[in-house]
Amino acid sequence: MNNLSPPQAAHLTDIPDTVKVFVPAAARAAPSSTLGATAWIRKNMFSSVPSALLTILGIWIVYTVLNGFIGWAWTNAVWEASSRRDCLDKVGNAGACWPGVVVWIPNLIYGLYPKDEVWRINLAFALLIVWLIPLWLPKVNSKVAIGLSMVLLFPLFASYMFMGGEKGAIWTALIAVGLTGFLWTVLTAVTETLWGVPVLRLVARKFGATTAEAESRIGQVVLLALFGVALFIVFELDFVEVRTRVWGGLFLTMVISGFGIAVSLPAGIVLALGRRSKMPVISLLCTTFIELFRSVPLITILFMFNTMLPLFLPAGVEVNQLLRAIVAVCLFASAYMAEIVRGGLQAIPRGQYEAASAMGLGFWQSTALIIMPQALKIMIPNIVGNFIGLFKDTTLVSIIGLLDLLSMARAVGQDTRWIGLFIEPFFFITVIYFVFCFAMSQYSMNLEKRLNTGHKR
Amino acid sequence: MASVESSSLRPAPAQAGSWLNNAKVRAVLYQILTVVIVVGGIWYLVSNTITNMSQRGMSAGFEFLGVSAGFNISFTLIPYREGDSYLRVFQVGLANTLLVAAIGILFATIMGLFMGLARLSNNWVIRNLARWYIEILRNTPLLLQIIAWYFGVFTLLPNPRMSLVWSDLFYLNNRGFYLPGPVPEPGFGLFLLVLAATVAGAVAYGIWARRLREQTGRILPVLWPVLGIVIVAPVLAFLLLGSPLGWNKPVLQGFNFRGGINVPPAFCALIIALSVYTSCFIAEIVRAGIESVSHGQTEAARALGVKPSRTMASIILPQALRVIIPPLISQYLNLTKNSSLAIAIGFPDLVSVWMNTSLNQSGRAIPIVAMTMGFYCVVSLFVSLVMNQYNRRVLLKER
Repeated sequence: MNNLSPPQAAHLTDIPDTVKVFVPAAARAAPSSTLGATAWIRKNMFSSVPSALLTILGIWIVYTVLNGFIGWAWTNAVWEASSRRDCLDKVGNAGACWPGVVVWIPNLIYGLYPKDEVWRINLAFALLIVWLIPLWLPKVNSKVAIGLSMVLLFPLFASYMFMGGEKGAIWTALIAVGLTGFLWTVLTAVTETLWGVPVLRLVARKFGATTAEAESRIGQVVLLALFGVALFIVFELDFVEVRTRVWGGLFLTMVISGFGIAVSLPAGIVLALGRRSKMPVISLLCTTFIELFRSVPLITILFMFNTMLPLFLPAGVEVNQLLRAIVAVCLFASAYMAEIVRGGLQAIPRGQYEAASAMGLGFWQSTALIIMPQALKIMIPNIVGNFIGLFKDTTLVSIIGLLDLLSMARAVGQDTRWIGLFIEPFFFITVIYFVFCFAMSQYSMNLEKRLNTGHKR
Repeated sequence: MASVESSSLRPAPAQAGSWLNNAKVRAVLYQILTVVIVVGGIWYLVSNTITNMSQRGMSAGFEFLGVSAGFNISFTLIPYREGDSYLRVFQVGLANTLLVAAIGILFATIMGLFMGLARLSNNWVIRNLARWYIEILRNTPLLLQIIAWYFGVFTLLPNPRMSLVWSDLFYLNNRGFYLPGPVPEPGFGLFLLVLAATVAGAVAYGIWARRLREQTGRILPVLWPVLGIVIVAPVLAFLLLGSPLGWNKPVLQGFNFRGGINVPPAFCALIIALSVYTSCFIAEIVRAGIESVSHGQTEAARALGVKPSRTMASIILPQALRVIIPPLISQYLNLTKNSSLAIAIGFPDLVSVWMNTSLNQSGRAIPIVAMTMGFYCVVSLFVSLVMNQYNRRVLLKER
């Protein structure tokens, strides 16, 4: 800049007034027909004559359906009545008769479970929610371990809470394992949130462990101590036995689908690994199992177990009906889960296997540390989808005589006071099923979107 | 040499350890172990079953198939009389299941295609209507829908005297759906022959036109000539033969209808629920298939001067179908399996009539369960065989 001579600088600024300089005109506003709500409506609803006709047809359909529905469910509905006769006297068939559903809500949710013991179910589900909370806490790192512990260990503890009664030595130990999982989850969530270290390592460090080996050794001792505490608590628990025959409603639906998912996840992983195994006998056995259970309808499996399980077992062994249904559902769900896991495993590039081998990892190490963590991530949406299917399929147990949500809804119409009441309880349980399934499917879609970020351009 | 080396460097590993660490030996061991466990487990179950059955005086043989079943079946596609054998009952159940599956698949495909296209519509109202139709119906259990259609709709219809009528031919009431039944008259066989010949001719013309196009590039009109051949020629033949088909109309006599075809309410409910439920999944498959074809394909076709209709038929659809067909077939299979839920509303399908009624009557649990599961396995194996063939055919030919 310094060596720029004065005449040149002067030349730049010295533009005569007569020279025209191009000044672009101010941009005109976009035409009003492309802006705002009217434009949007025109584009999305009335872009052409057929489109406009379809819009009118659609709006007419929505109006008719909503109008009829609101009239039935709200405007003409009866909210206070002592029997179906009352409702019919008031509005006939023009309005819904909600009191019948309201009276039956406890039964729709808990079945015929004794009223005094219902708190046990509530407590168990509250514990489940506490178990779930760490999965949403941002600072908790052991989410996979917590999730797995929940799926695998919660059923152990919950089945005692639901069933109660005598508990032998093995049963006590298993319940205590479940409770240990819960205590560990809560403590880990707390320590990771506050100090960023899982509870076992934290305690180990407090005891002066410096190496990883010492940490894990002391960690195991701490876990054992936790188990001792759990064992002590379990010894103190003494619940009245509630026979599974009275279990029912939404509670039973949850129990069956919960067991289904808890068993099918590990079983599906084992089956999928077996199917992909290079050992021909194992591969053949797993493939046969998977294809057999996938090719027949669930109802035939339920029937088979209902009629044939007593034949298969030694004389004198009684298996209650709920357990038969759960075994059938678990086998069925495992076969489907195996195919999902296989899909996930196939999506992992060969290079990952080869790299793991090159690092000197054996089959189980490479599967557990390299392949499964990646494959599970891809599979989560499908697993949720499978769970939705399982949740819907549990309605089939009503055919073999269990009192699930669907059976309880039909039972309303057999109550002498609410005789013939069908549409209202069915509408109520449809809403329950829809809310659960829709929420899960939205969650899985969100998850899919979030997990896809790495691969999508 | 070897012995010197091993002794000088380090002690030879124990013999047992060395062969246990051999991967091949271990594989064989694992497999033997698995076989022993599985065979042992099965043997345990079988021996239990044999003891239990002998205690209860049950038999596992198939000889009961010839015995008279002695119960009636409310709806049969193939002739069945009370007193026919168990084998006949099995056939009746099979035929009913296949009938439900075939009709359900037809309706589900049509509705699914329609809803899938509606889901892709440019029109916001239609798009969202289709979306909520799909979301609501596929997120509620099928069994609930079947029961709701049956008990909530078809059994609440008015009695035959108050039937809902459509042009004096179709009647809907709580006994089911009545429609005129065709009655073939002399000459109808000839008409069917003409129909078959025209269809064969149309197919031959289509193949010839396609071959001509592939060899010479000359494009012959296909759609209109084919439709012309298939519709005009049979109609002419029908009229020339003097309309050899009569209609047996349903007529109200006393408290019920006589004549015509009666579709029982359970069948109506089952078909509607199955096809509506499956159509939601088919709609999503259709949508995903069409969306999977990248927009560049359309643009490239337009840039080459291909007409929009031909772009759809020759460029978009073949690529979309590759994505659509495999999941579509598995939905068909699902529909066939789901038709077993008929038992909840008492429609006599295979599971209801065979695995429930016959099993309870005869007590032959093992052969009956084996036959039922065998049928579904055969269907499913057959479908997966066809699908593998198809997948091999449409596999992307990559370099």
